[in-house]
Amino acid sequence: MTDITVPTGLWNDSDEAAISAWLYADGDTVTEGAIIAEIMVEKSSFELTAPASGTLHIAVAAETPVTAGEIVGRID
Amino acid sequence: MSNRSDRLWMYGTMVKSRHFEALIKPAYFEGKTPVFNMAKGPLPGEMHLSDGQEPCAVGVCAHLRPGDTVTATHRPHHVAIAKGVNLDAMAAEIFGKATGLSGGRGGHMHLFDARVNFACSGIIAQGLGPAVGAALASKLRGEDHVAVAFLGEGAANQGAFHEALNLASVWKVPAVFVIEDNAYGISVAKRDCTAVARNADRAAAYAMPGHFIPGNDPDAIHAVAGEAIARARRGEGPSLIEIETCRLEGHFMGDAEGYRPAGEVERLKAADPIPAYRNRLIADGFDTADLDKAEADARAAVDAAFAAARAAAYPQPEEAFAHVFA
Amino acid sequence: MSSPETIAAPRPTRRLTIARAIAEAIGQEMERDPAVLVMGEDIGKLGGVFGTTTGLLDKFGAERVRDTPISETAFIGAAVGLAASGMRPIVELMFVDFFGVCMDAIYNLAAKQSYFSGGQVACPMVLMTSVGGGYGDAGQHSQTLYATFGHLPGLKIVIPSTAHDAKGLMLAAIRDPNPVIFMYHKALQGMGWLGTVQRSITDAPEGDYAVPLGKAAVVRKGSDITLVGLGLSVHHALDAAARLEKQGRSAEVIDLRSIAPLDRETVRASVRKTGRLLVVDDDYMSYGVGAEIIASVCEAGILLRAPPCRIAHPDIPVPFTPVMEHFVLPDADKVSAAAITMLEP
Repeated sequence: MTDITVPTGLWNDSDEAAISAWLYADGDTVTEGAIIAEIMVEKSSFELTAPASGTLHIAVAAETPVTAGEIVGRID
Repeated sequence: MSNRSDRLWMYGTMVKSRHFEALIKPAYFEGKTPVFNMAKGPLPGEMHLSDGQEPCAVGVCAHLRPGDTVTATHRPHHVAIAKGVNLDAMAAEIFGKATGLSGGRGGHMHLFDARVNFACSGIIAQGLGPAVGAALASKLRGEDHVAVAFLGEGAANQGAFHEALNLASVWKVPAVFVIEDNAYGISVAKRDCTAVARNADRAAAYAMPGHFIPGNDPDAIHAVAGEAIARARRGEGPSLIEIETCRLEGHFMGDAEGYRPAGEVERLKAADPIPAYRNRLIADGFDTADLDKAEADARAAVDAAFAAARAAAYPQPEEAFAHVFA
Repeated sequence: MSSPETIAAPRPTRRLTIARAIAEAIGQEMERDPAVLVMGEDIGKLGGVFGTTTGLLDKFGAERVRDTPISETAFIGAAVGLAASGMRPIVELMFVDFFGVCMDAIYNLAAKQSYFSGGQVACPMVLMTSVGGGYGDAGQHSQTLYATFGHLPGLKIVIPSTAHDAKGLMLAAIRDPNPVIFMYHKALQGMGWLGTVQRSITDAPEGDYAVPLGKAAVVRKGSDITLVGLGLSVHHALDAAARLEKQGRSAEVIDLRSIAPLDRETVRASVRKTGRLLVVDDDYMSYGVGAEIIASVCEAGILLRAPPCRIAHPDIPVPFTPVMEHFVLPDADKVSAAAITMLEP
């Protein structure tokens, strides 16, 4: 089982980030390296890629604020 | 040197303009968190703020009367305020309210105030042709009104710019073209897309005087603009003015500005023209009490305009169908 | 003689937003064909205001990925010349609303190059451009203008409603020897700051494939009524169809995908089956896509069980303030209400 973590060091800690869209649904099969969600910080977009292949489990829904390093889901 | 009352007016108007943008900013971000969705909140759509460019507006508009025409761009607030657009109706229009300049139909990029002959539009360089026409109308009617078109340095590469300058010269109309060079067209730097270093040099191609003003200096702008506007009023024809100014915010609200070199924005903010002008006025013997009063009046007017805009009602949806035709 | 069946390993699905699908298609063609280049305002470092060229400058360099001055007439005219000289330019017109400053290069040059030359000189260029409103950008930044472009001979015009179609149509457009206007709807780009329509984020194969220009797709099969849409309005139609299903009515939804050439036959075949036609698009009403589709069905003598209906933006500029803008824009509510009326016995 692998945690999906919001990347660190890409934006200032003080900027508010949120997942703008999950590209897959809970329970979908994803491949390692695929872009699985988009994270927005103001108008900039960052990719969240799958750290492993397997079944996606989403823990944090889109449009919820997230912080760098936060676990937003897992793949098993 | 600009006269005392003009200088005080310029200072107060720059403060008014900056305070207007300062209230717009948090209002714009309301409803747009945690995900920045442009459609949400009381100010949907795009927002182009004028922080840093205030000297261009006041230096020029200090010489204008209500009967003079001004056309402006997608970044219009400082110019509208300096031209004397109704502040309450302007704020209401930006908030999309029924009491807005066009009842909410136009929004921030399409502000019209016929009382003071102000209009702005979101298509680059498309304000220049109408300015030529307004200038021609004044000439045909034997009036001494002028028309001023504001544009960005990026617009100087658009066909409409070249056509309008040529036509203004051929018809010898009382027009003044004012380029606010803030160095960027969204993400593209001027040096990467403009064949000449000075757009003022392009005036020669259209047989009109071209002036370059460095340093974002209200007094310098006031002096040069005064000359060009007086020349136009005397019937001697159009001029081109290029002002080196700066854009302290992003191209639009939400612009991450990744294309700007590190430290550039901090450097520009350290050279903010408004506190710099206040210091100069004090050094020139202005009473701080007068400056403080000008500031207080300016802020109060803006605060009142925003309060009225927030409180005003939205239009009825069916009103969308009115004014398509006169 | 039979051979043992080979079962290919199933290809893993990969989801993309339409913006990424467009950038991926362009990148793949630029790799495959050195004649392809892309230019426009802010398409270099910024990757395009709407994300259509993300990553391309880093990959291919400034000779082939060119930020232009704000000079649409010049650089679109230059694209026509590049195409005449055997290159395959892709040009971005940032907002379709800006066509006013450069239309001559599009409809008098690009569209007529093959014709005026009697076939000697083709114009293999793609003009990609953003369309659509609904997010408060007012009258000069919210238009779609499908009919304006569709009306002019010599242009192919496409608009995807999903990432799969976006990549496939872009690959086909770049390879087509004709000028192709590739419209992408801002609400469907998946940019986040323009809102997200989850259904537009679809699987798009990593490799090479094409979605043919000039072919509509039946994206939902049904029997009681035909709903026709393009771009964003396909999603309005699908949402409306889901509601109709709850009422026991079965709607067939057609995604036009191509404004020109227009696939009239797919629409006619559907309406022969259902007998009811509703067209929804967010362009101005009069002289529009709906009018063309309805005329194409009626002149084929297809018997209708209800008068045809077109839902479009009224003949007024797109208003700024949201209460007005949303009042006039087509949406799923308007489609289902109209469909229910048509379905009444």
